[in-house]
Amino acid sequence: MSKVVDCRGLSCPQPVIQSRKAMAEADQVTTIVDNTTAMSNVSRMATKEGFKVEVEEKDDGIYLHMTKVGDPSAESTVLAEAKSGATGPTVVLVPGDGMGRGDEELGGILIRSFLHTLHEVEPLPDAIIFLNSGVKLTVEGSLVQEDLEALEQRNVEILACGTCLGHFGLKDKIVVGQVSNMYSIVESLLAAGSVVAV
Amino acid sequence: MTDSEHSVVLFYSTSGALRSEKLAKKAGLKVKLIPVPRHLSSDCGVCLRFESSDEENLRAILDESRVEFEEISAL
Repeated sequence: MSKVVDCRGLSCPQPVIQSRKAMAEADQVTTIVDNTTAMSNVSRMATKEGFKVEVEEKDDGIYLHMTKVGDPSAESTVLAEAKSGATGPTVVLVPGDGMGRGDEELGGILIRSFLHTLHEVEPLPDAIIFLNSGVKLTVEGSLVQEDLEALEQRNVEILACGTCLGHFGLKDKIVVGQVSNMYSIVESLLAAGSVVAV
Repeated sequence: MTDSEHSVVLFYSTSGALRSEKLAKKAGLKVKLIPVPRHLSSDCGVCLRFESSDEENLRAILDESRVEFEEISAL
């Protein structure tokens, strides 16, 4: 069975959500998007779900032809589920640029250690959400840029709260991850099998 | 996991680690504060990772500023 999902004109994370929904019902899904961010977000999710992705750029949009090639056998997914026993994605919530309360300098060391260790152990989380001063970890001069990039390369979604970046005047300074909004953040949290709040 | 290109300096305190990080960065060394790897210690602590080829340089910097450290170890 095949399905076509037209996501032109829709903003993040709708294309991902609708495509995933279609994938649950069909082995062949074609998603049409109108921007490259949506294209990469949908492709990434599809690969994770065990779909092969072919991209076709047409005049009226980018067509993503996705075909199921097996169970969601992306090793990491299986491993993650086997180990955590959770039924949904694991989301790490970083609501500040330090870990814990008390001493700020210590908090800074701890969050750096935490994010460094995060990509050295299994299972990896599926997403990391940065809120409030936590967004400072995703911008120019961040001491954890390398770590976040390593995580991103391994398909961990890095989401930085747009309101927060705006508040600190850092919106154009983001160097890793994507600018996100409260809709995506709430949806990620609610869809999560487990949320790890730092 | 072994990493032959990097070594770490272990410190007696986190403030020593922080101070060394600042000094090393100022000198242009590529360093990073990381948790002490499990195979080196079971304590909860941080250490300074650096490129092994910079060892002499880093030792000189730490000596000059009289930062005490516990040991330098290959990763």
